[in-house]
Amino acid sequence: MARERERDPGVETVSSVCDSSWALFFILKNKYLLEPCASGEIVVNEVSFVRKCIGADSSHGDLWGKLICTNFKVSFITHDALPKQRFQVANRLLGEHDVPLACVEQVVTVNDAKGKQKVLCSNQKLKFNPTELILYCKDFRIIRFRFDEAGPQSAKKVCLAIAHYSQPADPQLLFGFEYVGKQYYGSLVNGVDPGGGLQMPLFDRPSEWDREIKRTGASEWRVCSINEGYVVSPSLPEYVVVPVSLADQDLKQYLCFFTAHRIPLWCWNHPNGSALVRMASISDPLQQRKLDQRICSAITKSHPQRSDVLKSDLDKNLPNIQDIQAAFVKVRHICVIEPFEESEEKWLSSMESSRWLEYVRAFLKHSAEVVYLLEGKHVSVILQEEEDRDLSCVVSSLVQLMLDPHFRSLTGFQSLVQKEWVMAGHRFLHRCNHLKKNDKEESPLFQLFLDCVWQIINQYPAAFEFTETYLTVLSDSMWIPVFSTFLFNCPQQRTENSMDFAKSKCIPMGEEKALRFPPVWDWSQQFTPKDQALFNNPMYVGKGATCVQNGTVKSFRRTKKNYSSTLRGMPSSLRNILMDGHDSLTLTRRNSLVPRLKPDFSQIREVVESPTERFFRDWVSRPADLQGMLIPQLLPSHLALWRLYFLRWVPEASIPKGGPVTAYHKLSQLADEVEKLQSQLRQYKGATPASTPTSNPSAPPSDHSRMYFKAGSTHEPSSIPEYLSSSFPFSPVGNMCRRSILGTPLSKFLNGAKTWLSTETLANEAL
Amino acid sequence: VRSFPVPLALFLSRSPSLSFTRAPSLPLSLSPDKDIIYICPFSGALKGKVFITNYRLYFKSADADPAVTLDVPLGAIGRVEKMGGASSRGENSYGLDITCKDMRNLRFALKQEGHSRRDIFDILFKYAFPLSHGLLLFAYLSQEKFEENGWSVYKPMEEFRRQGLPNDKWRVTFINANYELCDTYPTILVVPFKATEEDLRKVCTFRSRGRIPATGGGYEGDDAYQNAELVFLDIHNIHVMRESLKKLKDIVYPNVEESHWLSSLESTHWLEHIKLVISGAIQVADKISGGNSVVVHCSDGWDRTAQLTSLAMLMLDSHYRTLRGFQVLLEKEWIGFGHKFANRIGHGDKNHADQDRSPIFVQFIDCVWQMTKQFPTAFEFNERLLVTILDHLFSCRFGTFLFNCERELRSKTVSLWSLVNSDLSFYQNPFYTPESNRVLYPVASMRHLELWVTYYIRWNPRIRQQQQSPVEQRYIELLALRDEYLKKLEELQLSDSSPNSSHLSNSSTPNAASPTQHITHLHTPF
Repeated sequence: MARERERDPGVETVSSVCDSSWALFFILKNKYLLEPCASGEIVVNEVSFVRKCIGADSSHGDLWGKLICTNFKVSFITHDALPKQRFQVANRLLGEHDVPLACVEQVVTVNDAKGKQKVLCSNQKLKFNPTELILYCKDFRIIRFRFDEAGPQSAKKVCLAIAHYSQPADPQLLFGFEYVGKQYYGSLVNGVDPGGGLQMPLFDRPSEWDREIKRTGASEWRVCSINEGYVVSPSLPEYVVVPVSLADQDLKQYLCFFTAHRIPLWCWNHPNGSALVRMASISDPLQQRKLDQRICSAITKSHPQRSDVLKSDLDKNLPNIQDIQAAFVKVRHICVIEPFEESEEKWLSSMESSRWLEYVRAFLKHSAEVVYLLEGKHVSVILQEEEDRDLSCVVSSLVQLMLDPHFRSLTGFQSLVQKEWVMAGHRFLHRCNHLKKNDKEESPLFQLFLDCVWQIINQYPAAFEFTETYLTVLSDSMWIPVFSTFLFNCPQQRTENSMDFAKSKCIPMGEEKALRFPPVWDWSQQFTPKDQALFNNPMYVGKGATCVQNGTVKSFRRTKKNYSSTLRGMPSSLRNILMDGHDSLTLTRRNSLVPRLKPDFSQIREVVESPTERFFRDWVSRPADLQGMLIPQLLPSHLALWRLYFLRWVPEASIPKGGPVTAYHKLSQLADEVEKLQSQLRQYKGATPASTPTSNPSAPPSDHSRMYFKAGSTHEPSSIPEYLSSSFPFSPVGNMCRRSILGTPLSKFLNGAKTWLSTETLANEAL
Repeated sequence: VRSFPVPLALFLSRSPSLSFTRAPSLPLSLSPDKDIIYICPFSGALKGKVFITNYRLYFKSADADPAVTLDVPLGAIGRVEKMGGASSRGENSYGLDITCKDMRNLRFALKQEGHSRRDIFDILFKYAFPLSHGLLLFAYLSQEKFEENGWSVYKPMEEFRRQGLPNDKWRVTFINANYELCDTYPTILVVPFKATEEDLRKVCTFRSRGRIPATGGGYEGDDAYQNAELVFLDIHNIHVMRESLKKLKDIVYPNVEESHWLSSLESTHWLEHIKLVISGAIQVADKISGGNSVVVHCSDGWDRTAQLTSLAMLMLDSHYRTLRGFQVLLEKEWIGFGHKFANRIGHGDKNHADQDRSPIFVQFIDCVWQMTKQFPTAFEFNERLLVTILDHLFSCRFGTFLFNCERELRSKTVSLWSLVNSDLSFYQNPFYTPESNRVLYPVASMRHLELWVTYYIRWNPRIRQQQQSPVEQRYIELLALRDEYLKKLEELQLSDSSPNSSHLSNSSTPNAASPTQHITHLHTPF
């Protein structure tokens, strides 16, 4: 891609143009190129001599530069080359001061002299010349620009353009289409390769489901292709897995009784044969019982011990999407909007009143209870939700993370999200509210899931191949609207929109069903290989990992049976029962987890512990096997605020040269050293074919270190780099500028502000 | 004074919370066939046997699987009460209630017939509160031997010399050599150079209990009393702190308050007090690093003053962040300057409602823990040291935290540092990275302060008991792995240089018996 800097000063703003041909119009007419600049990106409007506010209470350290609105992002290019800010990870699609338009949640313009403020929406008029622009971002940043020295008209135009382009009227106006569409004009060789280089399943092919069936030993389940071409249900993937005993004919007969024709979907099989299934509700109450019976009996037939099936009603037991959204908005308000000092006193009770951690705990707890059913009671479980597209995604993913160590590897985790979210039809487009059209549909289910994952990582830091930085960056990627992962409500929508777009732009699609949007899993789109090393957890104890026991190095060899190790985490009484395959009913009775008590003893018991609690307590009393089942500690005292995610932009909360990252730094260096020694040892051995199959499949070639911080050349004690802080690899500098110090807290005057106002109201209610 | 045959070190485990493996000799054990029931708040009533020595109470359940054990140093017992009477109705209504100083309560039930609890109550009451019964604290009876003598950890003159004292601004005085000036101050003091002995004597008459200003450590600068800036730090008194910790115990033991955890935690104000102490210490440290001298005082100068000076010193002087430096800090600022451990903890005293008791030292250790959480590489010691210190704050096994001031005799007891320094690696933080000139300012914000669950909520069996933080553990494993690889590499290099070595040429055909075969199975996850 050319990086010339051509400018045409006579370009008009296009903020009033609002049809799908605008982009093409500009591609033909203009060649505005920025650095870095994504393919298909064009400049919409710009203004010079803008001051980006760095400090809240003084202009000291503020940056001067040009504010640009493109069809992809809000960009700020400093007039002078600057010494680099405190360390911040660089994104290939974005400059240091850039914000993607999809990440802009709210555009606020201020005129100090007139005492006016306005929240700008698409196609609105602004009656005053703004002296200040504040961008509230979906990733919790608050960025402030001042226009004291800038041309008032140009400043106004840029503000209007940002407001307009951050609220596209149609999915096809999301930048991803331009980004991917552009590839088809140029040479296809350089085009985006949708996961072609990725060594992970996207679950858009029957073979990938087949492999998952084999991996989990789900021999009584099969891939069903009745939805090929999305003919029976638009929100289901083309290929689904169903019990062997259900023929296509049966399914076709049942499907009309399910909400949105969503027949039950197989998620995963426990090594003991129990299956995890997700299902929409049955829309016809008359069919309810009959259909329930048929489905359950088919699932029972697919269980090697013909075990029972239990249904878990998620809608009844968990908060709904509006509850979750309200909690998220509130926790964000507490973390980044409220004045730091003033909110200290009531910090804990405000946190509680947001209910965010309560919801995190509710999902973890519910998932752990399902884990107990699958692992402890070895029954199959159906997760039932009205539409099976929201809460089920969270619960089914968490259950699999707790039970199957495969999903705790990087590629395993990505395939899990692909399987349980993208393919299962989680409405990312609506839940992200990319079009900012329907606020009621917006809900941070995925962020909630990531927080739940973080809680488990926080409790078992060596059990996951990836870091909290990875989870944070994954969440941030939702606001870069080029990835197939987060752009659509379901795979069918991707196909449909691709076809429409290709047709309107005369893009030759050939045999392809959809435009080649890169999945977010193609991390090279965003980060250099070096920065991708930030994702790797130096503590990870994976399959085939070496560990040290009683001072001697031992290595775990990968066992043929994939997770026989999960059995180790079970009470011995269960293990015996599991091994001999009896009838499920007798098993259930014999296997009651209520402790067997001597008659006289049972009378004096005061405490009644539920079988689930007993199961958890038994598990906790044994050493944790990181390759086996992991149950998070569920007491509220043991769940924490995900500080990196929620507080990384808050300058007052940043610990310079401190925080968990300082330990990570040392771990990374040591792991790097171990890795280097290992490769030296390998060289001594020469190329040994025996070592290849046991090496981690997700690991890059061995000449390439996976650790971000490299071991020093000598044994000198390595000091902590100056740029490390508890916000690493992010930096609050320039990314967080609250206005409250200058006068009225901004949150107080935001009338008409949809999200931020509601948080304010909520906050007042709580006080 | 009566003394008892001393239980030997064989069952004095490293920490009172760890159970011992060998059956102890039991000078005071109960009749073995008497059944006792431990009313476990988690798994219900558990039958078992209880053993009491003059150091500890030990219970082992008979039929629970896995067996439930309790191991409580008598020093940790704050209160023993009889529960129910001979005519009480209901199961397990007759027995004993034991309130501990280490965040737990124990309840035992016995048979109602024949005053079965009388002897156990009498024994517990007597030996948990020996001072109230004219007996000696266990620390005087213990004859434990350690490789190192912990009493020699702190040598005042050496420590002054390390700080460059005396100098032209500060001088050493022996005016208190016989505790004539102030009986709660150390014998050797550093005072402003210009202050004459006569001045010091005068000052003493109007300072509370004769406590004159003395150097905390590392403080430089002069004109300490001119242009003084008065800063009030709003730290509450010992009674507020005691009530705060009591409230905290209520919400964590036996069960963690589940429905309104965060607001309950807030209403204890425990973290808020921690925050005020830390931010006070930051202000002190900040003034000092800015070249100002600071006079820290509270009403008596041994509670909040000790907290603030020692925390500020931890922030300013990296020496105190080492394992031995931290011991010196405690010896100097807490023990040397007369924190009234005996009164604040109430060692061996039955008067559980004594208004002098307060968890000032627990609060300080909590502040240190908060700092270690924010700076995982800045301290040479780990969490285990802090928990061990708090365990032996109550246990009465060592003389370190028994007394009100230095003057009281300690030489007949063993120092806690004898135990610690005989097994230093156990308390070492593997992440420690010395940075000699670094001033450490923690962020005193509720955003970062957290409840120290591994201390306050450690008795809950629903929580995984981890000997070590998993992060620390993994780092140590990796260190061992590195050493193993280095050794292997060295061996290979040696055998490589030997003339008849041929393994390199053979490597393409691995042989199961080959000594190098093992290497191919060593895979890290990287």
